[in-house]
Amino acid sequence: MSESEKKSELNRRQFLGNMLKTACGVGLVGLGLGAYSNRASSMPANYVRPPGALPEEDFLGACIRCGLCVRDCPYDILFLGEVGDEVATGTPYFIARTGPCEMCEDIPCVVACPTNALDHDLKDIEESRMGLAVVIDQESCIAFHGLRCEVCFNVCPIRGRAISLDMQHNTRSGKHALFIPVVHSDACTGCGLCERACILEEAAIKIFPMHLAKGELGKHYRLGWKEKDKAGESLVTPDTEHRYNLPEGVRYDLQGEGLIIEGEAEETPFSSNPLDTLNSGFMDK
Amino acid sequence: MKLTRRDFIKSNAVAAAASVAGVTLPVTNAVAADADDGIRWDKAACRYCGTGCSVLMGVKDGKVVASQGDPDAPVNKGLNCIKGYFLPKILYGEDRLTKPLLRKTNGKYDKNGKFEAVSWDEAFKTMAEKWVAARKAKGPKGIGMFGSGQWTVWEGYAASKLLKAGFRSNSLEPNARHCMASAVGAFMRGFGIDEPMGCYDDLEHADVFVLWGANMAEMHPILWSRLTDTRLTKPGCEVHVLSTYEHRCYELADNGMVFEPQTDLAILNYIANYIIQNKAYNKEFIDKHVNFTKTPTDIGYGLRASDPREKAAKNRNKGKLSKISFEEYAKSVEPYTLEHASKLSKVPKDKLLRLAKAYADPNKKVASYWTMGFNQHTRGVWVNGLCYNVHLLMGKIAEPGNSPFSLTGQPSACGTAREVGTFTHRLPADLVTKKDAHCKFAEKTWKLPAGTIPRANGKTDKADQSDISGKPMGKTLIHAVAMHRALKDGKMNTFWVMCNNNMQAAANMNDESLPGWRNPDNFITVSDPYPTVSAQAADLILPTAMWIEKEGAYGNAERRTQFWREQVSAPGESKSDVWQLMEFSKYIKVEDVWPADLIAKKPEYAGKTLYDVLYANGEVNKFPAEQVTDSRGNKYNNHESADFGFYVQKGLFEEYRLFNSAEGIPKKGHEMAEFDTYHKVRGLRWPVIDGKETLWRFREGYDPHVAKGEGVKFYGKPDGRANIITAPYEPAAEPPDKEFDLWLCTGRVLEHWHSGSMTRRVPELYRAVPDAVIYMNPKDAKKRRLRNGATAKISSRRGEIVCKIDTKGRNKCPEGLVFVPWFDAGRLVNKLTLDQTDPLSKETDYKKCAVKISRA
Amino acid sequence: MNICSLIVHTKPASGPLVSERLQAFHGVEVHGGLEEDKLIVTVEDEGETVSPVSDKMNALRDVEGVVNTVLIYHYGGEESMEEMNREIN
Repeated sequence: MSESEKKSELNRRQFLGNMLKTACGVGLVGLGLGAYSNRASSMPANYVRPPGALPEEDFLGACIRCGLCVRDCPYDILFLGEVGDEVATGTPYFIARTGPCEMCEDIPCVVACPTNALDHDLKDIEESRMGLAVVIDQESCIAFHGLRCEVCFNVCPIRGRAISLDMQHNTRSGKHALFIPVVHSDACTGCGLCERACILEEAAIKIFPMHLAKGELGKHYRLGWKEKDKAGESLVTPDTEHRYNLPEGVRYDLQGEGLIIEGEAEETPFSSNPLDTLNSGFMDK
Repeated sequence: MKLTRRDFIKSNAVAAAASVAGVTLPVTNAVAADADDGIRWDKAACRYCGTGCSVLMGVKDGKVVASQGDPDAPVNKGLNCIKGYFLPKILYGEDRLTKPLLRKTNGKYDKNGKFEAVSWDEAFKTMAEKWVAARKAKGPKGIGMFGSGQWTVWEGYAASKLLKAGFRSNSLEPNARHCMASAVGAFMRGFGIDEPMGCYDDLEHADVFVLWGANMAEMHPILWSRLTDTRLTKPGCEVHVLSTYEHRCYELADNGMVFEPQTDLAILNYIANYIIQNKAYNKEFIDKHVNFTKTPTDIGYGLRASDPREKAAKNRNKGKLSKISFEEYAKSVEPYTLEHASKLSKVPKDKLLRLAKAYADPNKKVASYWTMGFNQHTRGVWVNGLCYNVHLLMGKIAEPGNSPFSLTGQPSACGTAREVGTFTHRLPADLVTKKDAHCKFAEKTWKLPAGTIPRANGKTDKADQSDISGKPMGKTLIHAVAMHRALKDGKMNTFWVMCNNNMQAAANMNDESLPGWRNPDNFITVSDPYPTVSAQAADLILPTAMWIEKEGAYGNAERRTQFWREQVSAPGESKSDVWQLMEFSKYIKVEDVWPADLIAKKPEYAGKTLYDVLYANGEVNKFPAEQVTDSRGNKYNNHESADFGFYVQKGLFEEYRLFNSAEGIPKKGHEMAEFDTYHKVRGLRWPVIDGKETLWRFREGYDPHVAKGEGVKFYGKPDGRANIITAPYEPAAEPPDKEFDLWLCTGRVLEHWHSGSMTRRVPELYRAVPDAVIYMNPKDAKKRRLRNGATAKISSRRGEIVCKIDTKGRNKCPEGLVFVPWFDAGRLVNKLTLDQTDPLSKETDYKKCAVKISRA
Repeated sequence: MNICSLIVHTKPASGPLVSERLQAFHGVEVHGGLEEDKLIVTVEDEGETVSPVSDKMNALRDVEGVVNTVLIYHYGGEESMEEMNREIN
């Protein structure tokens, strides 16, 4: 082992050691935050602090209840806690379902804050962490049943990073795909635009922290195949037998795999269409 | 569900035994009774797009209380998109119109009066007076009707009869003119018969998918779901996406390309050139099945004749094809090298090459899909044709997986607008008013005197057709955009808009459409369930029974005809479109609109109303009113049967069927099954012969019109050959310049359909996407000192609107182009667009005009 | 008025055959279990007939292919047939 190699080895060990300490540190901070948020959970679950808000305990200490952030919010989404509210009187919050943060690039609420209760170091709104969106009810979310909704994904201002779509085969229908919304905590700011846009009667995607929230499928809507299973038969006139014009060796399975070309599976170096072979252009080679 | 105490005890007994034995039993009716008891389920085709999903609607106490995707429907297998999820709510918007409303002052009709409720009788009397006067004074183009690809099949058919046979006017257009006309033009020029040769099963059979100006991910959500599944599950499957901006489909794209507007013409010619240069073409196929032709070039932009761009055009509106050789064709695409196509389109060479290779690979099945990007194009017929050229060169057509496929926007653009023929130049089943023989066949079928239907050129047997105006008929065709111009110029005085939002959809509405509608000489009628922008601009509004408030039929993009029953009653005095058309015809006497010499040929029609001649003609009223019942004994109303005394829908459909299934029809290939059959099935894809559907047309074995041994036959053309039609790249009508420095492209979003007249009344959809925004590249925004969410003014040479900027939205625009959806009645983007059309198809190009954007 | 359910064990792979034989009896219905060779059977008397349920059950045991029968559930009420056929809900 050469000198320089030793040195780098040493450095790496040091580095690893440092990292371990840091990890412990983060762990401690993490515990602390947990304790804070436990206390903060006295705030109603659907109340969200503006971007840049310090951890709740610090925020309550720093916020002087001046209301300037509320005044400067161009979308008028911020409220101030009133006497009797479950939130400290005079402190700002918003409710994502009715008025989410529109994520202004210049973050006027933070700029307006005279005390750093809303952290002035927050320059890029995409770095803010007001909360976290959670697809909290996968049973109600219609995307999980293969319906084409994706409204939460469509309205997400950092679409693709904060919410992405996981495309999966729909084994029930056999020929459609599922477009499952997945929230990524490393990018989600908790702005709540998705929660507001969710088309269910009770949103299936909500801003965390959220203890008991649960979505609810629209009252009018049934999942067709489930209704049919439950009834044991079609709810309306069953489809009659279909017949098709088909060449020899070809079948058509209406409720199954559609067109079936017999013998197609057998692999040979030749295309089943002789024209492909005839036109393969060997004379040019 | 009826459950007796005995059933109940028995089911408990069975369940107990089964659970002890560990046996799973099939669920039976006896134990399935639950909270949904009392809901009557029936099927319907979804109200929105051309996909044609089937839905089940649950009705209790006369109201739709539940809905579900139809698990038995082959298209959607129980799935819905977000719009379909909320279908019941479109019936119950709080501002449904329930009474006819007429502009009045002091109790009398006044163009500038306020809307007041009137009776149907007063409404039709007022209308009839205006219509008869306009028809007499201004000739066949003095009146006009603008219908819809959202009409049910028989509504379109009844309207076609009323205008063409009754009023003797070809001034009938559907909004499909703005949507599918270019596709139709290319089908007729290329194959001599309308509509795709393939079907949705291509989505499972193709190896390569290419999207040309189609945002399927949002506009055909369920088909996209099928395409995605094939991409996920089929080894080697790849997806190519082309558009003028990045949209949701690019999430799945293996080869995503953003091209400069209008250069799709050059890209397609490059692909053809690549195939020829590499001798990849299917020689045997083109020798046997293809003719090579060219189309006149420099044909203008469908603007008013006075426009300098029209004056400069050498071959304005010309489209007559002339035959060329393969070598001449090869020569015509030779300039479109990879370098040239890449330079024009701004698409990197490797991406274009990859696309060309996919088409040229004989072992890959390629399906091409397009919608408005191709159709709303000043060279729409050309560009549709250029795509067919590529498929025809390779012989990749009319077989599973090899499929050039024009998707439709509206639920019955195919079934109603196209198959019934509600265009100015068309009659049912691909017949055209240009051909004397076709008109004669229609006259015979409709029991009319020869020469009733106005010919395109106003002549029958080479003699002028006489007219009630006293003058010769003259040329009778007038397309949608020309109608608005004629209204503005006072040449057309009455106009009836049904089942669509014609004003909101009209390009250049500030300069042309609104002045036309508010022209004091004109009387505008709008039939709609809701107070739309069009209704606001009308003089008479007729409240309409919509969708499942009447018995209906739609035809989707894969030739599938689907029926539904009347499931609920319409609110107030609302009446269906077919009722309105037929009832109105009672107010017009034959003598009001036919000249004496025509009546003399059928003296028994003297003194009759158009209703007697067109609908009580022994054919349409052949089937007596009956109690509509499904196979379970559920009973359904039919308000039209009750009011007219016969089974209106059945009579209209069976008469219409004479055009596609009777002996001696002029054009074969549109055969359909009997009326009653369609109520029993989840749709059938025509041609339906001996009860069998046709999945792929023109291919032996799949298509009964192709005889054994023929292999492939494009039987729409007399020689059985399809046309490859060469056409060059030509620039757009209004490219950006120094002042108006951005391209504007308009379009749609997943959450809203049509003009938003229905979807914006669903609170959840409104909340999801409340307003139209300007999708813009962040760099373009920054240059104009705008940021995401800022309010901006967007203006063109014709008008301006104010919108919010969205630089982070689902659509990612390249620098130099912005995209604005058109659903928002509060921000009418068609104030900006140019009333340019394809000179051949007369379809408006909403995708390309020049705008500028500044802070508001 | 009696309704009983029982499990009828059959010889291997003879569920469907036995099921057919059982259904020949009046008031006997087979509800499933054909695959498993454990038939789920209900036996009802029609009130007016003299043959009590227990006779029928004994008769079932003698049917060819039946190995055993197990009574699981018995309902014996005083109601008339009219009452039993009254709709509920």
